[in-house]
Amino acid sequence: MAETSLLARLRPLLFLASLLLAWEVGAPLLGIPGYVLPLPSAIAARFAETASLQLHGLFMTGMTTLIGLVLALVFGVLLALVVVYVPVLRSIVMPLLAAFNSIPKIAVAPLFVIWFGLGVESKIILAFLLALFPIFVNSLTGLGEIEADVIDLSTLAGGTRWRIFTKVRLMNAVPYITDALKVAFPLALVGSIVGEFIGGNSGIGHLILFGQFNMDTPLVFAALVSITVFTTLGIGAVSLFERTALTWRPSQRRR
Amino acid sequence: MSTSLVVDNLSKTFGSTLAIDQASFSVPENSFVSIVGPSGCGKSTLLRIAAGLVRASSGRIELRGQEVTGPIRDVGMVFQSPVLLPWRTTLGNILFVAEMGGLRAADYEGRARELMALAGLSGFEDSRPFELSGGMQQRAAICRAMLLKPSLILMDEPFGALDVITRERMGFALQTLWEESRNTVLFVTHSITEAVLLSDIVVVMSPRPGRIHDIVEIDLPRSRTTAALRDPRFVAFAARVREGIEAGETEY
Repeated sequence: MAETSLLARLRPLLFLASLLLAWEVGAPLLGIPGYVLPLPSAIAARFAETASLQLHGLFMTGMTTLIGLVLALVFGVLLALVVVYVPVLRSIVMPLLAAFNSIPKIAVAPLFVIWFGLGVESKIILAFLLALFPIFVNSLTGLGEIEADVIDLSTLAGGTRWRIFTKVRLMNAVPYITDALKVAFPLALVGSIVGEFIGGNSGIGHLILFGQFNMDTPLVFAALVSITVFTTLGIGAVSLFERTALTWRPSQRRR
Repeated sequence: MSTSLVVDNLSKTFGSTLAIDQASFSVPENSFVSIVGPSGCGKSTLLRIAAGLVRASSGRIELRGQEVTGPIRDVGMVFQSPVLLPWRTTLGNILFVAEMGGLRAADYEGRARELMALAGLSGFEDSRPFELSGGMQQRAAICRAMLLKPSLILMDEPFGALDVITRERMGFALQTLWEESRNTVLFVTHSITEAVLLSDIVVVMSPRPGRIHDIVEIDLPRSRTTAALRDPRFVAFAARVREGIEAGETEY
């Protein structure tokens, strides 16, 4: 049993390794030049050379992404809370938010640079805005989708609004919010990187642009590797939380 | 015996439909009262009005001498579905009502475990609801309703979703739990046998509009066993309840 599960865990890695091998051997045979598609070995070498640059870029991008994400989490849940408890706001807030969400936020990114400058603020705000909507929508569902019987039962047992909120609504919303985080995390990252593309002089987005200007394709790829590792770790953390803390969910049950 | 709940000349209309027509009955303290009747006779609505969850159109309800005008704050409720929170353990679900009441859950853990033992749930304290059978989930819901010894326990067809064999066992399990606590219970069912087996008083209702047709005092000795089901007096009580229901149906 242990052997097969180990194999199951290694299978994606083995697949990736064989893909990289085919790339390393196949690209020269097909005559693809290195400035178009650098070899994995060249990317790895460039990655090692620029390790401190990568780390600094990752720190800047990771920071703006995570701050934006945390802000989106706080405001998304608060906004959902207000809409759940003040139903009249639902008819006001929902159409406005839907309209706002239909604006491609990347198209208004230059505006944020004008308003908030070239520093981290514009990146954080972009990350925040991209992550906000999925978190709000899922929180709204999680806080609101409670059987009427549960609310009646809680009320008859003496439950105040606050106790019902913390012990019923919020607990019910946790899996909806973790699901939303898995979508919102990469979106926040898009916000940060687009912000770095438009202005500023730090972060992975800046590193990618720098690589492009200098036709340094291996550097562009190395930066992409950094960002992929970061996203995978972030989503992995959310999944780990789900597996350990949300064992009661149908999808996490082990019988 | 003092009176716990008084339902006095209560009517309820939904739009132009008369759901309950001038219902009057009372529930003595520490007694088990059933409302029995076919679907659509307004018995569940009556229960929700008694809890203060729904307003009556006219008439009044009093609990321990106080008029009920909004949700009562110490009522135990059992629904047709168990309504257990999936993220809590069985013990955690039973203690949930203590937390809702602003009490320290730890103070009630002993009583929760005693109730669980009586309900045959020992060993499942840390199980999640999805690991329990339907009957076990409903027994946990009954333990939860009894935990705080509320002034009134309302049960809305609690065994309605269970199979017949489980249902009969649940009736006896409920009797065991009730004899331990002697809480005042108002129990809604459409099973005549269940009503007669469990109750001190059976209120018989008929539908469209919901009216009370008969109030039957069941003075059979407790604890009632499966043998009691064959007792001629039990059979006579069941027949009288059935007559009440049938009379109500042919009248209109």
